[in-house]
Amino acid sequence: MMAAQLNVGDRLQPVTHEVTDDKMVEFEKVVWDRGRNSHSDINVAKADGIQRTIASGQNQMAFLHEMMERNFGDAWVYGGKISARYIHPVYAGDHLTANGLVTEVSVVDGKPRVTLQIWCENQDGRKTSAGTASAGQPSDARSWITAAS
Amino acid sequence: MSEEAAISKVWESIPVGDDLGSLDYVLTAQMVADYRRVVDNPHAAYPTVAARHPANLFYRKYAAVMRVPNMGHDSEYFNPPVADKRITITGRIADKYIRRGNTYLIVEATAVDEDGRLIERSRLVGLAREVGKEAAHANIARKWGT
Repeated sequence: MMAAQLNVGDRLQPVTHEVTDDKMVEFEKVVWDRGRNSHSDINVAKADGIQRTIASGQNQMAFLHEMMERNFGDAWVYGGKISARYIHPVYAGDHLTANGLVTEVSVVDGKPRVTLQIWCENQDGRKTSAGTASAGQPSDARSWITAAS
Repeated sequence: MSEEAAISKVWESIPVGDDLGSLDYVLTAQMVADYRRVVDNPHAAYPTVAARHPANLFYRKYAAVMRVPNMGHDSEYFNPPVADKRITITGRIADKYIRRGNTYLIVEATAVDEDGRLIERSRLVGLAREVGKEAAHANIARKWGT
């Protein structure tokens, strides 16, 4: 079965996660340990001029990625683009939802391309990040999962 | 204080196109598993999101004099990384500008694996803060009231 093709005005299936202190700390250590910083240590945060630790922007990016992976499959993973700006702090205890709205469907280099507004919002409906993303039309293929197993 | 007077001399001295050199590391299966666990996404394709390639390259050269809190990211993804392959990242200063009195540096990093597969190209939008002059997040604190 072919994945449903997207049209202007379509909303992506959103993704929601709770941000916790433990995960903020661990996020700073996975893949590349950056040591204590304003995302993981209250004393460093205060020295950096803020009163609480805040989740890193890349933490939000991870949720936006998951939304794109779930909705686009290979079409995102092979050739996806994203541009996000972090516009409001994210704290431990926040519930973040990644969202996407299709704004354009075009043809680029002979291939369909879907452009979206993307954003994360917290439990109060306040946007914490915003930007754009693009990918080919959704694919059912999840070849990066198959390749890893 | 005028906008001109507030501009950091260090920021002025960093040229667009500045070569940030290269770094390499092996993205182990454990790193991939750890990333997927912490983001609650068992199939996350790009654990490199947490690797912060541009920031790591930038700080290797400029940590003593400049901070670049992450105000945004522009990324393009080509091939998901494969566990236990060595990844090499190269970086440069792609752009710099002043907006609303704030100085920014755009730090670009490109990641390629040991088989020559292009993984991703990312640009960090960094709010440039000279070390010792102003707290790294002071502007964010003022703007966001944190």
